[in-house]
Amino acid sequence: MPSSTSSSEAPRDPYARQTASDRPGVAQPVPVRPLPVHPWGRILLGAFVVLVLLVGAWEAYWRSYGVTPSIRNTFGLWAIQRRRIDAGEGNATVFLGASRAYFDLQLPVWERLSGRAPIQLSYEGTSPMTAIEDLAADPKFTGNLLFGVEPDQFFSGRGLALGVARYAHRESPSQRIGQWLSMHFIEPYFAFYDADYALRTVLARQPWPQRPGKHWFMDVRKLSMHDAQRNAWLWDKVSLDPVYREIARAVWMEEFVPYPDDPTPQEILKTEKEQIGRAVRALAQLRVRGVRVLFVRFPSDGPFLESEERIYPRKRSWDSLLAATGAPGINFADYPEMQGYYLPEWSHMTRPEAERYTAVLYRVIERDYWGPDAPDWPRKVRAVQ
Amino acid sequence: MVFNSLTFIVFFACVLALHWLPLPWRAKKINLLLASYLFYSAWNPPFVILLWVSTIVDWYAAQGLVKAQRQAARHAWMLLSVIANLGMLAYFKYGQFLLDNFSALMHAAGFDYQPAHYDIVLPVGISFYTFATMSYTLDVYLRRAQPAQNLLDYALFVTFFPHLVAGPIMRPTELVPQFAEPRRASAQQLRFGLALMTLGLFNKVVLADSFLAPVAERVYDRANIPGALDAWGATLAFSGQIFCDFAGYSTTAIGAALCLGFAMPDNFRFPYAAVGFSDFWRRWHITLSSWLRDYLYIPLGGNRHGPARTYLALMTTMLLGGLWHGANWTFVVWGGLHGLYLSAERALRARCGHYRPGPLAFLALGLLTYALVNITWVFFRAKTFGKAWQVLRGMFGQNLDVHPILSTFNLLVVTLIIGGILITHWRMRSRTLEAVIARTSALVVGILWALMAFAIIIAQGEGSAFIYFQF
Repeated sequence: MPSSTSSSEAPRDPYARQTASDRPGVAQPVPVRPLPVHPWGRILLGAFVVLVLLVGAWEAYWRSYGVTPSIRNTFGLWAIQRRRIDAGEGNATVFLGASRAYFDLQLPVWERLSGRAPIQLSYEGTSPMTAIEDLAADPKFTGNLLFGVEPDQFFSGRGLALGVARYAHRESPSQRIGQWLSMHFIEPYFAFYDADYALRTVLARQPWPQRPGKHWFMDVRKLSMHDAQRNAWLWDKVSLDPVYREIARAVWMEEFVPYPDDPTPQEILKTEKEQIGRAVRALAQLRVRGVRVLFVRFPSDGPFLESEERIYPRKRSWDSLLAATGAPGINFADYPEMQGYYLPEWSHMTRPEAERYTAVLYRVIERDYWGPDAPDWPRKVRAVQ
Repeated sequence: MVFNSLTFIVFFACVLALHWLPLPWRAKKINLLLASYLFYSAWNPPFVILLWVSTIVDWYAAQGLVKAQRQAARHAWMLLSVIANLGMLAYFKYGQFLLDNFSALMHAAGFDYQPAHYDIVLPVGISFYTFATMSYTLDVYLRRAQPAQNLLDYALFVTFFPHLVAGPIMRPTELVPQFAEPRRASAQQLRFGLALMTLGLFNKVVLADSFLAPVAERVYDRANIPGALDAWGATLAFSGQIFCDFAGYSTTAIGAALCLGFAMPDNFRFPYAAVGFSDFWRRWHITLSSWLRDYLYIPLGGNRHGPARTYLALMTTMLLGGLWHGANWTFVVWGGLHGLYLSAERALRARCGHYRPGPLAFLALGLLTYALVNITWVFFRAKTFGKAWQVLRGMFGQNLDVHPILSTFNLLVVTLIIGGILITHWRMRSRTLEAVIARTSALVVGILWALMAFAIIIAQGEGSAFIYFQF
């Protein structure tokens, strides 16, 4: 290894200093850190004032766009709900799924009707398979599981947040504290603090010229608002602002158009079978502990529904899932009272509609599956009662 | 905990407040020691035991070295320290790697050996603090330094939170003397320290995490085969990402220490303006390269026993230096390439020592150095050799008829940031950051400080770990 600095590169400034690379084979002395001569007090004050003005202007800009503060849906927020199972609520009702199970189920409504707060473990844009495998492996979970089936997530196994269960189990004390600080002191007060308005995201979605040879997909825009208990709902702007609604629809429309990189029908079928196999194995574990699982196919509409029926036809996917797992399911197409809801971007309901839907779904579940008089109530449970 | 987290902001504010209280110096040092243990245990509390083991073993080994009368006893104490430290490192960092390679070897020999998979969690920063503690006993063994006067100072040297998990790798002679006398930052030191922390976090949160990391991930973490533009774009992005990540950490650490009144050594000196690889290693991760030089290369013989032995020492040092970065053969290849570069440079210098390049040739040699360094980054970034070859083939124009991977925006990001880094490094290659700041008007310094802080806030980083934490 070289051990000296050549004289031609000798530092020339008054702040020059040697480093360990200039002193081979000796004890290294206490480092010297000269301070640049400047009025640092005034610089700090000035920088702070400019910073406050810039942050204020950024916040004002996003508020003028219609954004209001919301709790962020993070792995840390999910972990808080997941820990409820470890903390004595293992027999609670758990919601699992992707964005429809997340936005369309309103926790306050469910709690009002059932008398108990459910645990929301759905995650938008994410297959629930890793989460159900996590629950299946956890002996503390003995409650009811409402398992949302959104075909393009469920049967593809894809997801943005597949590592969330692993994160929850390995979350460090520092991360827990950071989550708590953020949701108490940052998120409730700053509208701009949302992944959709992060600097890179904002710059990346500008209309840059496209490189020839490939279609560049738009990223999904902000669709939802959240609270600290992970109750989520469709952002009002999606339904009230026609321009924003069209953006949201345009993002989905891109996904419905076939592209050369898309998986082949054989690949889709193979993956679909793999996901059903995973569900079968997870449910077998859950059944041993008496967990009641109910699949729910949430409403979708317009081109979204058409795309789902084209890629994942009911008979092949939904019916096969129920047959393979032996678990009951509620498909909105079979229930007139679960149809006709307003889904502004064809995939999620507005908040008032979600509240209405949650109440309807709860009553159907109580009547047909989980209520004491439901025909599907397991015999052994009746016997115990 | 990581510097770029809300938890650290609160933690650091509390540490600063405690350090400014009118308490006895010993009480302040105890505060710093406890804060440093808290800093480490906030990641995974049980692993703080490893810190204690490392601290105690090296403390007593150094005491034994001083008291030993015979050379054999001195050897024994030194070996105890080395074995204990490298043993911990071997188990936690290389245990699974060694087992996997042994298994592969058995398979190659025709034996069906299936070892259990141990899910060994790598204690964050173990490579850094084991090297720091080893330098303590080795310096005492080599009679370069006296042992610390008391266990508190020594424990604080090992644990001092600014350098604990990702360096700069400090030597005891650099830090222990600073604990001897009461220290509190002056108002100027505090303010400049905060400015350095902002600069470091800007590098990490904005440049590395927000802009460059996603570009590298799109090529290196996906199956798509990259063409020349995408392969070079992603590799250049990674070259910027790893610099901004690691130099950003070092700058933040130096700033944090300065806020408390302590001085830490430089760890980077504008490395992408290096001309030649010996120059590169005088500028890149200085505290590691000098550690390897002092405790590995020189003891292996250095350049004192003829060319063949020199090249052997050089290659051994760089291969082990590669392995230090991670338990994967790709890191060994990365180190091996640097060893070959250094050997080739040494051979060229021996033959053409009289050559003095003109300005253009100097620049060309600098760009060649940067290009060759980028070749090594492919092996550093790729998780498998398959991916590394795929990217290398792309960089050399061998992947034809492939779909583009990076968007115009991503390519623009790489061009602007990497171009900016290269220009900055070349303009500052013979200067220090402090000199440049001193020559810049206070108004501009203030505005730049505010803009960097603003960018950190609106970039909305989510506390992702620094790359070097895993080493």
